[in-house]
Amino acid sequence: MGEAGRGRVTTLRRWTGRLALPLGFALTLAVLLAIFYYPVGSVLVEAVVRGGRLTVAPLLDVLADPFYTGAAHSLFTDPAGVPAGVLAWVRAGFSPVEFGLFGFTAYQALLSTLASVVVGLPGAYLLARYEFRGRRALRSLTILPFVLPSIMVAVGFLAMFGQTGVLNDVLGWLGLGEVNLLFSLEAIVLAHAFYNAPLVTRLVTAAWETVDARRVETARALGASPLRAFRDVVAPQLLPALLTAALLTFVFTFLSFPIVLALGGLRLATVEVWLYARVQDLALAEAATLGAIETTLSLGLTYLYLRYEARQTSMRGGGASRPRQAFIQGWRTLRDPVRVGLGIYGIPVLILFVGPLASMILESVTGPNGGLTTAYYEFLVRQQAATGAGTVKPLPAITNSLTFGLGTLVLAVPMGIVVSVVAVRGGAGSRLAETIMTAPLAVSGVVVGLGLLQTLVFGTEILGHRIVVSGAVAVVAAHAVAAYPFVTRNVTPALSGLDSRLLDAARSLGASRFRVLVDIELPLIAAAVLAGSAFAFAISIGEFDTTVLLAEGVNSYTMPVALERYIGNRSLGPSLGPATAMGTVLLAVTAASFLVIERLGGRWEP
Amino acid sequence: MQRRRFIRRAGAGVAGLTLLAGCTGSNDGGGSGQNASNSSNASGTDGSEGANGTASGNGTTGGSGTNATNETGTTTGSASSSGTLTVATYSSFTGEDTAGNWLKSAFEAEYADTTVEFVTPENGVNQYIQRAKQGAPIDADVYVGLNTSELVRVSQQLDSALFQSVGDGLDRADTVKDSLRVDPKGRAIPYDTGYISLVYNEEEVQEPQTFESLLESRYEGDLITQNAQQSDPGRAFLLWSIITQGEDGYLDYWEQLVGNGVNVLSDWEPAYQAYMDDEAPMVVSYSTDQVFYHGPDVNMAKHQIGFLNDQGYANPETMALFSDAENPDLARRFMEFVLTENAQSKIAVKNVQFPAVEGVTPSEEFAKYAKEPPEPVTFSYDELAGSVGTWVEEWARLVAGA
Repeated sequence: MGEAGRGRVTTLRRWTGRLALPLGFALTLAVLLAIFYYPVGSVLVEAVVRGGRLTVAPLLDVLADPFYTGAAHSLFTDPAGVPAGVLAWVRAGFSPVEFGLFGFTAYQALLSTLASVVVGLPGAYLLARYEFRGRRALRSLTILPFVLPSIMVAVGFLAMFGQTGVLNDVLGWLGLGEVNLLFSLEAIVLAHAFYNAPLVTRLVTAAWETVDARRVETARALGASPLRAFRDVVAPQLLPALLTAALLTFVFTFLSFPIVLALGGLRLATVEVWLYARVQDLALAEAATLGAIETTLSLGLTYLYLRYEARQTSMRGGGASRPRQAFIQGWRTLRDPVRVGLGIYGIPVLILFVGPLASMILESVTGPNGGLTTAYYEFLVRQQAATGAGTVKPLPAITNSLTFGLGTLVLAVPMGIVVSVVAVRGGAGSRLAETIMTAPLAVSGVVVGLGLLQTLVFGTEILGHRIVVSGAVAVVAAHAVAAYPFVTRNVTPALSGLDSRLLDAARSLGASRFRVLVDIELPLIAAAVLAGSAFAFAISIGEFDTTVLLAEGVNSYTMPVALERYIGNRSLGPSLGPATAMGTVLLAVTAASFLVIERLGGRWEP
Repeated sequence: MQRRRFIRRAGAGVAGLTLLAGCTGSNDGGGSGQNASNSSNASGTDGSEGANGTASGNGTTGGSGTNATNETGTTTGSASSSGTLTVATYSSFTGEDTAGNWLKSAFEAEYADTTVEFVTPENGVNQYIQRAKQGAPIDADVYVGLNTSELVRVSQQLDSALFQSVGDGLDRADTVKDSLRVDPKGRAIPYDTGYISLVYNEEEVQEPQTFESLLESRYEGDLITQNAQQSDPGRAFLLWSIITQGEDGYLDYWEQLVGNGVNVLSDWEPAYQAYMDDEAPMVVSYSTDQVFYHGPDVNMAKHQIGFLNDQGYANPETMALFSDAENPDLARRFMEFVLTENAQSKIAVKNVQFPAVEGVTPSEEFAKYAKEPPEPVTFSYDELAGSVGTWVEEWARLVAGA
């Protein structure tokens, strides 16, 4: 190759370097538009358009209905009468107030968030500050609840916390009275904590591990007590992660749907449960209105949070993290109140997390009369060998799940990083852009599903051709849209914590923004990228609603879809056995994949 | 349970490549099948984007210009009936050892050159209502598994007819039990029925005799039912309570029932699972419960059938022919086949429901364990039309707001 040739290659490389980020941004936006904004928009439009005209009447109808908004409905029916009403209420001695469906939904979300933080925080402390056998495996497994289809979790909860469940057996054995948890608010809150406390643990652990050891040491050297050093140095760095986790938990549990259906019943219905019922009844306009209100609320929260987060990011990274202490120190372990406390904390955590999963596994090998059986696994083998039409086989489900998971990784990780770069760049509008690109987190699954159905699945007429998006590509794109915000939420804090002088130096030496990202920033924040990747993979494995919508039958069903189909399979009697067996397989496959992901990435860990 | 049961367009590919023109009307005897159709019906079925490239080629009859071979022999001479029949149904109707799969093999054995393909959309008939609204192709010939209130929904949501009337044009349609003929317009033909009843554990509770007795304090917290918004047995139980309590009294009744601690779960599966886990000693279920559960080491005390007020609510499952069916002749053959005595016995046993046709005895075992209520009750189509939506919503608001 001559001089000129080499020059051309360099120019090409420089150009790709320059164009890579804008191109990535454009592609991300295009995928979002096609798979998310267009379908969701088509639903929300129904909320504000009647007979081709823009109107707020449907919104007002919902807001003014005491069933939805409780006492607050008079804000919309009789705004002038509100002060008098409040006064009357104060005079009456603050009698209990009805808050309607929205109020109840927010209330249970608040309780669920509190529970998740209370359960999750000590775990983060343990994982970040102590060394013990299996710590890394445990840290990897904190993502596991995330992938479990809620139906499986519900079954586990029934088996664990039910009237005749394992917990009551143990309590009875200890001579304690039995508890009756199911179909109550407590059960819903516990199940939400099961899903979200690990999220709290995971995000806070990651933040805790990046706390710069030197700054803590400096504080201590200057005479600060350990408590004070924690308050002044460590806590401010944990707060953003904690708030991220709490906000995510709140939004998720505000949009909670299958768990409430399975463990609470209609008496504890949330907005999303109601929205789903309206969709089932094809009252789509009312469903769209509810969806619009719900989406506005959660998007608003997301926006407020992102603004807060932007102000909070402080200098991080660069320094060494503090060494972890050994958790077990022989007999002395029992004299340390913190260690003893953490040990005691482990008991309810075991009951809450291991209990339902263990119960599910137990159920998969236990016959209706309590004896051991392999019938449910034999069922899986028979399904695999079956030739009947419409048979859902386990092996294709496993390979599809893994393939889609990898496909999601390939798509979601770059998307997530692109959005992070936008977020970190700062400047006017970047918060708004980030909110717009983070929206998939805050939009209810039912709304997305409905939108996809009416647009891509049925097809859209363009120039006389019906464009139908379905099959594996559509599934992967949808999974990526659901998953990349988690990559972003992991990467953004790490990226913004990097020392900007490093980057400035590189830029001033002529590196493009893309080069800086690839050569300098990403290697420094590999742990965060990896954590985000694990999330993306998890979301893909556990996703059900959209998959079932987009999957082309035999060719693209996944493990959760197979699991759901086995629940309806009555060849072994109306038992959940086949589903628990498939659930156990799902559990094994996903647990193994996460261990692999994290082990592969382990070499980057400090 | 029922995680967002959304739509699934199971990969039936493109059905019926050979289309028979001139068959859209009634079965007008021979001849008309001669001119095999071409494009007009087929346009628009293909998705682009390559995703639909799976157009399964099995069972289709070669080139387009020629007519499909006529293979009848069993029924009186009518147009030809070969090709692919696409049957839309619910997912548990298909798969290994199900009524659907038996029907497929038996029908294909009887009519050579035919293939039965199933599609099982997650949201059932809503899929086709929405497709019709959006102008998307229907891609199916017959729907199997409609109940009365779904038929009402179809009519209320659409201006044009989604299903065509087959009425008395079907052989053996007149043998269907009178109590199950729910559709005055003759679109929906019942093929089996369940009777909603209580299933209770006689070791735990005395059998409640009436709806009123469920309000007694001795039954506090003892009943599990399902959400009438989305569950068949749950809706049937609500409708049954409206029959006994009256349109003006049912909400009062339910307010008291909620006060007495009734659990309203999402669907039959979780409700029954909770019942099996001893969460409560009574559950709303089907009177065929014992057909499923009897056995040497089963405690039958837990599978007692209770007919409140000596009644049971009939929930017939019906089939209907899409107006846009690409293969209406074959579809009619299929529906007739479903009503034959042999098929009725097989469906009853495999789907654990009662036959819809008079005088069919599926098996001795079935006869022994399937309980029929002394007085079957059900709302007719006309009674449900216009009311069922309001009834269910008022009920749901009452329960959710409690």
